[in-house]
Amino acid sequence: MIFLYITNEFSVDSFHQKGKNIYRVMRGYDATKARVPYLSGPYGPALLNDYPKDIKKAVRVMPTQALITLGNNSFNEKNVYAVDPSFFELFSFGLIKGNVSSVLKDPHSIVLTETTAKKYFGSTDPVGKVIEMDKSLQLKVTGVVRDVPSNSHLNFTMVMPITNYTNEEWFTKWRNNNEFVYVELNEGVNPAQLEKQFPTFMDKYMGKDLAQMHAHFDLALTPLKDIYFEESSSFDNVKHGDKKVVYIFLSIAVLILVIACINFMNLATLRAVERSKEVGLRKVLGAMRNSLIGQFIGESVLLTLIACVFAIALLLLIMPWYNGLLGYSLAISWNSPAIYLFLLGVILFVGFLAGSYPAFFLSSFTPIQALKGKLQLGKGGAFFRQALVVVQFSISVFLIISTIMIKKQMSFVKSKDLGYSKEQTIVVPINNGDIYNNRISFKNELMAHSNVESVAMMSGEPGGYYDRHSFEVEGQHETYNARTEFADFEYVKTLGLKIVAGRDFSPKFATDTTGSVLINETAAQQLGFTPAQAVGKWIIDNMRDSNRRHIVGVVKDFNFLSLKENMDALVISPAEDSRVAVIKLKPGNVTAGLNIIKQAYTKAAPAYPMEYTFLDQKFDTTYKADLRQQTILSVFSGLAIFIACLGLFGLASFTAGKRTKEIGVRKVLGSSVQNILILLSGDMLKPVLVATVIAIPLGYYSADKWLQNFAYRTPMHWWVFGLAAIITFGIAIFTVSFQSLKAALANPVKSLRSE
Amino acid sequence: MVKEEKMIKITDLEKFYRTEEVETVALNKLSLEVKKGEFVAIMGPSGCGKSTLLNIIGMLDDPDGGSYVFNGTEIAHYSERKRADLRKHNIGFVFQSFNLIDELTVFENVELPLIYTGVAAADRAKRVEEVLDKMQIMHRRNHYPQQLSGGQQQRVAIARAVVNKPKLILADEPTGNLDSSNGNEVMELLTDLNEQGTTIVMVTHSEHDARYSHRIIRLLDGHTVMENIMI
Repeated sequence: MIFLYITNEFSVDSFHQKGKNIYRVMRGYDATKARVPYLSGPYGPALLNDYPKDIKKAVRVMPTQALITLGNNSFNEKNVYAVDPSFFELFSFGLIKGNVSSVLKDPHSIVLTETTAKKYFGSTDPVGKVIEMDKSLQLKVTGVVRDVPSNSHLNFTMVMPITNYTNEEWFTKWRNNNEFVYVELNEGVNPAQLEKQFPTFMDKYMGKDLAQMHAHFDLALTPLKDIYFEESSSFDNVKHGDKKVVYIFLSIAVLILVIACINFMNLATLRAVERSKEVGLRKVLGAMRNSLIGQFIGESVLLTLIACVFAIALLLLIMPWYNGLLGYSLAISWNSPAIYLFLLGVILFVGFLAGSYPAFFLSSFTPIQALKGKLQLGKGGAFFRQALVVVQFSISVFLIISTIMIKKQMSFVKSKDLGYSKEQTIVVPINNGDIYNNRISFKNELMAHSNVESVAMMSGEPGGYYDRHSFEVEGQHETYNARTEFADFEYVKTLGLKIVAGRDFSPKFATDTTGSVLINETAAQQLGFTPAQAVGKWIIDNMRDSNRRHIVGVVKDFNFLSLKENMDALVISPAEDSRVAVIKLKPGNVTAGLNIIKQAYTKAAPAYPMEYTFLDQKFDTTYKADLRQQTILSVFSGLAIFIACLGLFGLASFTAGKRTKEIGVRKVLGSSVQNILILLSGDMLKPVLVATVIAIPLGYYSADKWLQNFAYRTPMHWWVFGLAAIITFGIAIFTVSFQSLKAALANPVKSLRSE
Repeated sequence: MVKEEKMIKITDLEKFYRTEEVETVALNKLSLEVKKGEFVAIMGPSGCGKSTLLNIIGMLDDPDGGSYVFNGTEIAHYSERKRADLRKHNIGFVFQSFNLIDELTVFENVELPLIYTGVAAADRAKRVEEVLDKMQIMHRRNHYPQQLSGGQQQRVAIARAVVNKPKLILADEPTGNLDSSNGNEVMELLTDLNEQGTTIVMVTHSEHDARYSHRIIRLLDGHTVMENIMI
């Protein structure tokens, strides 16, 4: 399972034949922040034009969504890519129908993936058929491409020529963010050398703009193979992996394998006593030590082979659940030799590892010792076995601590007061022309209804998109950077924010629409003002215009970013950059409120199905990777402790069996059942205790490291470690006590009769 | 020397071993008495019920029928817990194969019955040392059983049996695993203990050992066939 996952993660984008020469152009705007991949329309052709010796191809990819209509059916397609015509020449997505060089030449063409083609046209040939996009464009299907594999960072259902947009005014502006630019470098071109020339390029095309904005842009090239593991953000909505999750997954797999091997070694060694006569007899009959070692390792390898067959059957059975856990569909490529090589490697390695100790141990007996059945598992061996149990349980306790800490942090994040009201609040994206054009009537329609408390249009809901702009502020010599929110006057009311100084936006003040802003406490503090001092100061958004606006109020800090990020400065300006409508319902029937919103939406954008999310559910999407880590850890730490307990159970049953005589003697001498139970369980639990002591500092260290991902952290209480110890002990005691009780209740006469 | 007061009175004792197909009679309405201070040897061929009888006398096993009166109390139907309590205060055991615990030292092996009867630690050490001294095994107190000869191991086993000052010692073939010299020493020890007032019931195959007793009870097929009073 883990092999498939890791192979898939590290093979992302490796299927593109020209992959080693493909780079994505990244734009930097702040040296302290990660670069973003969104550029504007002119970049691609300009790069190709200015660096013809270095750049062979430049392909723009603009992810968008569209309402696709065929006959009476309309679907809101979320993964539509508008691309340059050479898209399929650059990327090897595998066209099934159509020619890579001409399939997107005609501006009114479109290429569908196999699944999308089936969705619209069933089993009939889609080539030549026409579909309608956004009730305006008629596009003819010119090709069908294989479904995008799970190991691709790009993910589309339809591909259309970007030439449909190239004449739009917004598309021709350098100052815009709407598409990725991929370049294919000529053979032998050093990307670092090319990057050195980009400052001149930026100066040539954007020098004036940047000077006016007091901003600095730089460009860089990210190799195609590295894109997937770049940090995911709302500024880069292609598919990203998380190396941390991969390594956590890998570590757990290794740990579980270690636990399982330890069990095998321990139990096989214990079985040595039972098999001593066989070993003796084989030696008397002429077996050499080497042949015995071969026999036992062979047995171990055979057992691993059988286990592998069962594991594959189990894998096929639980694949759907596993795909759900991973968050994407993983395919097993039985045609690939890699999987067989891996299985062979695992069988040999695990078989040898697990079989080596018992093999060398068993074959070392003299024939007489072995034949008399007087094999003693010496004190050194006992110590080794106990040490292995310690390793197993250290791993289990460590995993339990990690699981509890992730759960605790997630519940801390979930329950933290974020400083805004998220209950009964619905977010509707303004993501098509109809709803955008009719947004005011949509809002008025909602406001007229008694179930609706308030409605605000804004550029990003909390946890959503917040661009970073540079500002000039009264009394400041340096340019100031802050996040921006563009919203209407109902922003503060709808999100339930508190004004700590000054006032909210108000229609009573004629200048508020064009001449006012709100800032948050952090912004005031960073500017060196108290909230009261900040009110009245002028501020210029360099990236917007040169108008002086005045700070009319300061809002109490609220967590508008993920809790992984520290509180940032925020400037809220009234503007028509409406990307979402946030609707606060009055307490009561949410379903009724939702119906009202749907009716108003249908009126405003009748062709489009309404999409919505609840603001309080934003948690699940923001912390998706962390929640996945939590599930993975919970499942696998459960598995780890289960396997460790299987080993402990085997060891307990062996120990109880080995100590039958001793238990008999103790009972004859007056020991009670409780005494025997305490004696046996205590002995078995000692390694568990040692394991707990070892695992606690390791768990503390690793949890502390993981928590560094968050700006807001749950405290690491001692009870987390106590609880992990109690869980482990509880399970271990349950495992051991069964065998101990059986031994303690046995009639001593029977145990001593053999004497 | 022999007092008339009865320590053990067994009447019509029965014990069966059942498997799915066969029922074996181990004790067949066996009756016997042992007086306080007596040294009794039980003899008979293998499978005649000697060890079964000893186990029942030692309260390690239940009879299926009949009566067993120990020190004037009927215990045939006592619960496991009551039997264990009575056993640890009144009876010491010596086994053919010594049954010492390999992981414990000589001192710890001998100390074990005192722990189970709740004797305080300081008192335990004193009593263990006394008895080890008496058995002339004091110099081996920190050794483990496997470091001792068979004779020494049986001395330790006897020391363990007597450390609680039991009224009755049950010995199951105590010399069975020893050479004649060590065997004689063990029998001398048992005789000494008996002379000091401890009642002893010993199962043996050895006529030589049986001659140390006051009385020999011979069993066959689970019941008494003969009693010899030794002069």
